[in-house]
Amino acid sequence: MTDQSGVLNDVRQGMIPAHIYNDKELFDLEKERLFSRSWLFVAHESEVPQAGDYVVRHVLEDSFIISRDEKGEVRALFNMCLHRGMQVCRAEMGNASHFRCPYHGWSYRNDGRLIGLPFHEEAFGGEEGFKKKGQTLLPAPSLGVYNGLIFISLDPNAEPLEDFLGDFKFYLDYYTKQSAGGIELRGPQRWRIKANWKIGAENFAGDMYHTPQTHASVVEIGLFREPKAEKRKDGTTYWAGNGGGTTYKLPEGSLEDRLRYVGYPDDMIERMKGQWSQAQLDVIGQDGFMISAASLFPNMSFVHNWPRVEEDSDDVHPFISIRQWQPISENETEVLSWFAVDKNATDEYKELSYKAYLMCFGSGGMFEQDDVENWVSLTNTAAGSMARRLLLNGRMGLLEDGGNVVEPLTNEQYSGPGSTRVGYSEYNQRELLTRWADHLERPIEAAAQLKVGMTAVRKTSKSGSASSCVAAEAPIDEAAETVLLGA
Amino acid sequence: MSVETANVRTDRTLSEQSPLGAHAPRTQRTGESLAFNDELHLQAHRWLVDESYLLDAQDYEAWLSTLASDIHYLMPVRVTTALGAGYTTAPGMAHLDENMYSLSRRVARFATEHAWTEDPPSRLRHYITNVRTFRTKNPDEIVVDSAVLLFRSRGDINEAATISAGREDLLRRTATGWELARRTIMVDESVIRMQNLAIFL
Repeated sequence: MTDQSGVLNDVRQGMIPAHIYNDKELFDLEKERLFSRSWLFVAHESEVPQAGDYVVRHVLEDSFIISRDEKGEVRALFNMCLHRGMQVCRAEMGNASHFRCPYHGWSYRNDGRLIGLPFHEEAFGGEEGFKKKGQTLLPAPSLGVYNGLIFISLDPNAEPLEDFLGDFKFYLDYYTKQSAGGIELRGPQRWRIKANWKIGAENFAGDMYHTPQTHASVVEIGLFREPKAEKRKDGTTYWAGNGGGTTYKLPEGSLEDRLRYVGYPDDMIERMKGQWSQAQLDVIGQDGFMISAASLFPNMSFVHNWPRVEEDSDDVHPFISIRQWQPISENETEVLSWFAVDKNATDEYKELSYKAYLMCFGSGGMFEQDDVENWVSLTNTAAGSMARRLLLNGRMGLLEDGGNVVEPLTNEQYSGPGSTRVGYSEYNQRELLTRWADHLERPIEAAAQLKVGMTAVRKTSKSGSASSCVAAEAPIDEAAETVLLGA
Repeated sequence: MSVETANVRTDRTLSEQSPLGAHAPRTQRTGESLAFNDELHLQAHRWLVDESYLLDAQDYEAWLSTLASDIHYLMPVRVTTALGAGYTTAPGMAHLDENMYSLSRRVARFATEHAWTEDPPSRLRHYITNVRTFRTKNPDEIVVDSAVLLFRSRGDINEAATISAGREDLLRRTATGWELARRTIMVDESVIRMQNLAIFL
């Protein structure tokens, strides 16, 4: 394998070898060392509200059934029959009490337990030959939930999810906890773009600089109330924990005025006031900033904006979208884009918010259309040998001596956690790429293997932190006789 | 069988189920498909072919003028579900769910000098086939099914992208010709293999 230490060192200096956006060797390293251990978003609890509900989601090539079992617990089960490796669930959503493999008929309850093994006695000699009791579909090694967002990690020793999220939770709440009801997710829209997955994650994390140029057209057609896309530079970028994002500067006014300014109705404002901490409210009401786009390392992003969506009305309507940049290869990404809305909002609000989402983002969104065109072009150009001669300057905000163009806001100026600055910069893109470099540098430990039907009975280790859900490890009642990972 | 009613749990069409479809006309087909030499079918077929030339040429202002003011233009997200699940579209989510205003914004955007995704423009070809026409209870409205294959080529590096879809249209007769009053686009992929939907189907 090529020594990548030079590339990683350049990235840490804010100098980006252009080929990292289209390099098979680096992609192989990302698969081996990044996606095999980082926390990755797979679904939201609202997508599987009832017992038996499931969705199927991928972590690169690995397919997982995200199911809610009969006891209401959310599980993430590797979608591979323990017998010959067939996918036991080939739909992407539905409701099922059991998953039956179409190949030889092995069947599993929706908590993963193997309950049907045709001709167990005749073919295997019963428990003597194949220990059926306690066998389950392989659970995701770690599972954690925050505000209903379900994350998994392929690393059984992953740090607890809440530790990983860290101070980014403060910002995550704006998108996913506008009331005690939390959000409901619809979608996702799924489509493939011939672009490297890192580009979108970097863009959503901190690229306020592209807005006036890339998105000039949506301002010109009256989708936005502000006449100038240049308004963007009055906002901030923040980085906290393992995520960061951008904000818009709001006009003068009270908390309520400012929330109304971006289109929130009074009933939602009241619930926000009851839900968010004083510091979370102060970022808006006192400091005057409203969250916009954000990314959580490595490949989850958020967007919050407030366009005009009705003819003959200057009213704006906020929407929230959550997305995942699912890598397919070094030059292809599957985008999964969900519409998220506060569960307790009125139907009228939900409709207009949905309309706002469809007009702006997602597979048909007018913002998105121009972004992707750029990213595809960038990826194409990064493939060649000339791209290897270019170290792109990703140091915006830094002087040559390492000093800052703009200093971070102080605790008196800003109420939120993390490092926050007004204006254009690429601190957040560097934060993402530095974490990327840290993962790529660190070799992975070999994962434990399970000998199906042979391994001695042993309880698995406790997985990452979970709130209302438990990790889909060994199932339930018969804990004493459950088995899984040999680890 | 209707494109719309073939894939729903309830007997409500996808246009009726859409959270943004309250304004949409509700007229449904009646009876068998018309003979291919029926005057109504010939007019409908001609309308669709003429429309495909407008869309290939990206003459969107002209296209917009062929739409009824109460148009509902819906392209649901398709999902892979078990046989018998009763639905093949994502509940409450579409790729496009448009009325006249949002379609007009999309067209207006292409007319700016800053719609980078179509500058340079794509080379587009809409292939229209499997056209059949139905009467409705309203003598001035007909339902038209068609299949569309869109070929879209950009630049000279990446392979061209295609979208295959079935469409159910409601066409309405006016003093100046037929107008499109409702279109439901059943795309044939759960994951769109096209970088965006800066096109119309």
